[in-house]
Amino acid sequence: MLRTVVIRLAAMFPLVFLVATGVFFLGRLSDIDPAENIVGPEASEEQVAAVRHDLGLDRPALEQYADWLSGAVRGDLGQSVYTKADVSASLLQALPVTLSLTFGGLLVGLLLGVPSGIWSALRAGRAGDRAISLFATVGQAVPGFWLGLLLIFAFAIQLPWFPSVGYVAIDQSLTGWLRSLALPSVSLGVVAAAAISRQTRSSMIGVLQQEYVRTALSKGLSKRRVVVKHALKNAAVPIVTVVSFQVTTLLGGSIVIERLFAMPGLGQLAIDAVLRRDPDVIQGIVVLTVIIVVLVNVLLDLSYAWLNPKVRAL
Amino acid sequence: MSAAEASGARFTARLLRSKATLLWAAVVGLVLFCAVLAPVIAPYDPLDGDVREGLLGPSGDHWLGTDKLGRDVFSRIVYGAQVALLSGAEAVGIAAAIGIPLGLLSGYAGGWTDRILMRIVEGVMSVPFLVLAIALISVLGPGLWKSMAVVGVVFAMTLMRLTRGETLAAREELYVDGARVVGAGAPRILFRHILPNITPPLIVQVTLMIAGAIIAEATLSFLGLGAQAGHASWGSMLADAQESIRQSFFLALPPGIAILVTVLAFNQVGDGVRDLFAREAKAGTLGVNPVHRGKGAEAEADPPAGTAVPDPLLSVRDLTVSFPQPGGGRVTVVQGVSLDVGKGEILGLVGESGSGKSVTAMSLLGLVPDPGRVAASTVRLDGRELTGLPFDELRKVRGRELGVVFQEPIASLNPAYTVGDQVAEVLREHDGLSRAQARERVVELFEQVHIPNPADRLGDYPHQFSGGMAQRVMIAMALACRPRLLVADEPTTALDVTVQGQVLDLLLELREQTGMSILLITHDLGVVADVADRVAVMYAGQLVECGPTEEVFRKPSHPYTEGLLTSLPRNVRRTGRLPSIPGVVPAPDAWPEGCHFADRCPHARPRCSGGPIELAAAPGGRATRCVRAEELTLTGVGGTGAVQIAKKP
Repeated sequence: MLRTVVIRLAAMFPLVFLVATGVFFLGRLSDIDPAENIVGPEASEEQVAAVRHDLGLDRPALEQYADWLSGAVRGDLGQSVYTKADVSASLLQALPVTLSLTFGGLLVGLLLGVPSGIWSALRAGRAGDRAISLFATVGQAVPGFWLGLLLIFAFAIQLPWFPSVGYVAIDQSLTGWLRSLALPSVSLGVVAAAAISRQTRSSMIGVLQQEYVRTALSKGLSKRRVVVKHALKNAAVPIVTVVSFQVTTLLGGSIVIERLFAMPGLGQLAIDAVLRRDPDVIQGIVVLTVIIVVLVNVLLDLSYAWLNPKVRAL
Repeated sequence: MSAAEASGARFTARLLRSKATLLWAAVVGLVLFCAVLAPVIAPYDPLDGDVREGLLGPSGDHWLGTDKLGRDVFSRIVYGAQVALLSGAEAVGIAAAIGIPLGLLSGYAGGWTDRILMRIVEGVMSVPFLVLAIALISVLGPGLWKSMAVVGVVFAMTLMRLTRGETLAAREELYVDGARVVGAGAPRILFRHILPNITPPLIVQVTLMIAGAIIAEATLSFLGLGAQAGHASWGSMLADAQESIRQSFFLALPPGIAILVTVLAFNQVGDGVRDLFAREAKAGTLGVNPVHRGKGAEAEADPPAGTAVPDPLLSVRDLTVSFPQPGGGRVTVVQGVSLDVGKGEILGLVGESGSGKSVTAMSLLGLVPDPGRVAASTVRLDGRELTGLPFDELRKVRGRELGVVFQEPIASLNPAYTVGDQVAEVLREHDGLSRAQARERVVELFEQVHIPNPADRLGDYPHQFSGGMAQRVMIAMALACRPRLLVADEPTTALDVTVQGQVLDLLLELREQTGMSILLITHDLGVVADVADRVAVMYAGQLVECGPTEEVFRKPSHPYTEGLLTSLPRNVRRTGRLPSIPGVVPAPDAWPEGCHFADRCPHARPRCSGGPIELAAAPGGRATRCVRAEELTLTGVGGTGAVQIAKKP
């Protein structure tokens, strides 16, 4: 088991390196010049060149790359060309917001998706199943930020139960943190819930027809035990696969939701950086999200071994 | 239900499904119509308005009101359709132009080309879609067409991976080999042979991708990275709506609904097309169904001798199982079966597949799959009436007083848990044993069924067992709570011939030790001859003959039994047909009023088809369902010994 973990973790380095390199050189291809943005349209050629020299942007791309990479492996992701803020520090500050939101969305997705999928599978073809399937189909087509807008109107403006914008850090106030995350998490999680529900339903339907489910029933177990112990564990592998896709989607989706609810997460950072092209910030965000995605996928891969003894034997 | 009817029902379902798809396609058409004819349909300029007429509610002049800048919302929605569809087309067009050829190349060429391309795809796809889009937009700068080009490049990765996978599969198909043999070049093979064959999944993916692109456009425009002031986009309309949400909530509705309906329509069309291409998904629920108490008038009459025994352990009267038919109505698959199993007795229940023997056994346990309905005037086990018991009451019987062994031992064990856990579960459920006690008892049980090294094998998973050993585990599980009756449904059919004998010997040995009764369901008369005290023969949902094994084998009284006996030895598993009887068991909805066997019977007379034939007493303490039983002299086999010799050459 430990060996698998080590191999999987080692395998993520080339991938992160590949992505980091790709995003760095793509950035150099851009004809948008941060120096021009900084000095403004009125500035002379010399002023632009001076700023460019200050930022080190006039050096050969390979030299800049070597510089950035040697910093990056030590955890120094450079600095914003506009605010001079340290990128690693800004990312660390924004990360808890984004992770809280992503986790909240995942929780909503799992809590709505898995039970509704099971419920639906147990009634396959009947009215209850059709209702759930309809919700899941519509849920997959709803833009999360529109849902968020509706939720803000209903539960922050009409019924002032939750804040309409902003984020409260967990160390300031636990209830404040939960309240500030409630609406964003739902807005983010509904699409994931729809996908998880559909997958849970179809994989449960397949498992319920297996002979070992009949065996479990023939042993005189309760329906709950048959479904939760005997069926769900076998149905879980495809569900986990969908969940791992959803984590990536949720992490990306949190950008929009952060914008909608004005939460100071990676999304805000990214949008500000893209609008004025702040190369180090963009690179930092991409590298960080890739690392998160890969780590989550390693964790989920390990869960396969627990769920499926045949995998463990290999 | 018959195969023809079932496929008819599938076709109807598919047609209904595609009707819904047609409806959604019409919605797509409507959006397209708005997009193309936007300048004609829209009453106002979508980009220009009178600020003094801002935030008006819906009216005759402005059907959907006006936004903060006084622009007509309806006109903006109509033009928004144009933006949405054009951006969808742009993104998906780019995705297809990049993804499909590279995917074909990667899948067809293989080797290093494939490895490098797939590494790139893997890298790109490990970045969340929006993060990647934002990173690329930071290179190109914001703007509707630029951002949708970025979306297209990202989508190309998905399409490339799909195309590659399909190409790999298609490459292995024979038709490609055929084309290669006649000397077709690579481009010709790719575009003339492979591409047409992988088109269906690509069409589905592309349709779903348009929906994804429309959401992406709205999202990026909402963030201010997509459509700028020069375009009326549903996404930027939502961004405007957010600004003025405290003054006018209504503005959030039209663009949101427009996105929802358009995306839903594309998704539904994509799913519908997929369903048309794909095989229909199975539908099924938990297989539980209690035995209902039927109207018992006729059944109170004593059944004919041969089906009944004095002081039985299990007594079944007038058991009927029916399933709903796709076209409406119900079809009966087991008709009025009455039988007894004596204490310590082994009753063999025999018949071809489709005779209803397994359904009969499963119905006793309440394990007939869901839409089925089971009724009986009585099912009495050890003096306890089982009909009318709800699921939770039956649970106390299942696994405790009645153990079951199924046909496929490995498939019948849960792959996700150790065998020890699965056997212990019965003990913990019914006998309330602790973990340690249960473990001890499992070791004991494993010894009883002769599993070597029982203490070590507890922690193994089913896939680590051979079929024969797995069946021993199943038997141990069925016997865990010392049931009075064991139902064994084809317990040896899936096993090797040498192992079959061992498992039968084990069953006989356990019967000796415990004094339990066994209801042995099998299609194999050789097995019955080996172990059964009495035999009940089923044909097309009815019991046709029942009596002591010796008697029935020596001198069958029903032509079907004769047919079964003269077919020995044989391997039904391989052929599924009886060599001495032409034809197969008819499907339940084709069963005649009269004798069910008449069509295949060499002794049939017109009166056989006149009306229902009753089960009647026959010589030798037997029952038979044949009107000519007394006048026919049927051929049996000279004692069960002969069968055994015939079976094991």
